Amino acid sequence: MYNAPMITVRLPQKKKEIEVRGPRRVMDLLAEAGVRSTTVIVTQGRKLLTKDYRVEDGATIDVISVVSGG
Amino acid sequence: MKCKRCRRAEAAVDLPSHHAAFCPDCFFLFFRRQVTEGIRKLRLLAPEDRVLVCVSGGKDSLVLWDVLMDEGYETEGLYIDLGIDGYSDRSKEKVLAYAASRGKTPIVVELAKEGIPIPEAARCVRMQECSICGTVKRYFFNRVAAEGKFTVVATGHNLDDETARLLGNLLHWQRDHLARQHPLLPGAGGGLVRKVKPLWRVSEVETAAYGFLKGIDYVTEECPMSEDATSLVYKEALSRIEDRMPGTRIVFYKGFLDPSNPLRKGPEAAAPADAAPMPEDGPVVDAMRVTEVDSEEDVGTPRACASCGAPTYAETCSFCRLKERVRKARSLRAARGSR
Repeated sequence: MYNAPMITVRLPQKKKEIEVRGPRRVMDLLAEAGVRSTTVIVTQGRKLLTKDYRVEDGATIDVISVVSGG
Repeated sequence: MKCKRCRRAEAAVDLPSHHAAFCPDCFFLFFRRQVTEGIRKLRLLAPEDRVLVCVSGGKDSLVLWDVLMDEGYETEGLYIDLGIDGYSDRSKEKVLAYAASRGKTPIVVELAKEGIPIPEAARCVRMQECSICGTVKRYFFNRVAAEGKFTVVATGHNLDDETARLLGNLLHWQRDHLARQHPLLPGAGGGLVRKVKPLWRVSEVETAAYGFLKGIDYVTEECPMSEDATSLVYKEALSRIEDRMPGTRIVFYKGFLDPSNPLRKGPEAAAPADAAPMPEDGPVVDAMRVTEVDSEEDVGTPRACASCGAPTYAETCSFCRLKERVRKARSLRAARGSR
């Protein structure tokens, strides 16, 4: 059976990766991943994505936590 | 989404707290303006200042150094190698690479060579790593600044850091801490150098976006010692509020800094915390408090530490007392081991 490509959401600091059926907005992908938008930036390659950006199937995005402790 | 400033390019950064979204070029202008306005409004820096920028390899400090250089300030970077396995090496690599990209060579202090690597020192004196780290960093900020004739030390604390600290201080009614919390800590002569936090108006998301868009390669992993830091709990609470009510954080902090706020004194009245005595015993310390360990005793003019000559309000400075405790603990362990 043919496996259609999905959106890959990588959370490198959590060492986690999820796949979501697209198209989806970044804010929806963050909700799916259980991440608040005020704590991350979202990138696709060298591009920074806004929260309303529509991500298509087959894309890989990185969710980078920006929260520093201490 | 189009950029709200130029209205032509596609937006790359959306900032609900500013009701704005910017393309990369317009965001650079916005960000730098936020920083320079923060500097101007609180008179953090003067054009003739020699600025020692404390860089950890993380986004905030490298972005701070980048902006200050672009703004024409005379700067040098100071990297303190904390001696944390793996993490310190990776952080140092980022600092050295960034500095080289700007034609700079940072000043590097290696705590292992100084005989006080943070993890081992914490084990020896049974204190939290963040607490020791704060004491040691402050000592070297002052020492390197004095030796290098820097007029000011700049750190990368941002709006999220400052509001998290404010929330912690309020929740525990730390009146002394509240009175002193400010992006400007005046120097006190005798080797206590002025300290500033020029990123106080910008959030972590903004500094991360700036760093990413500028191609600054920073360390994204967190210090392994800070996993249980109390500041993260306060940041979590504030980010939940910010998510629902964008702009709350900056209103919270600006309101606190208002000179008419009775909870705090003006920076001119604030005694620097650097020479404050270190807590001697007990299960110290809330990580929230460590960057500005305060004390009821740190008022007046500092004197020279009897041991090293560093400015202190006690007989010997907190760094020397810490080193002495580590030395004793090592001797004790060695004696036990030889039995």
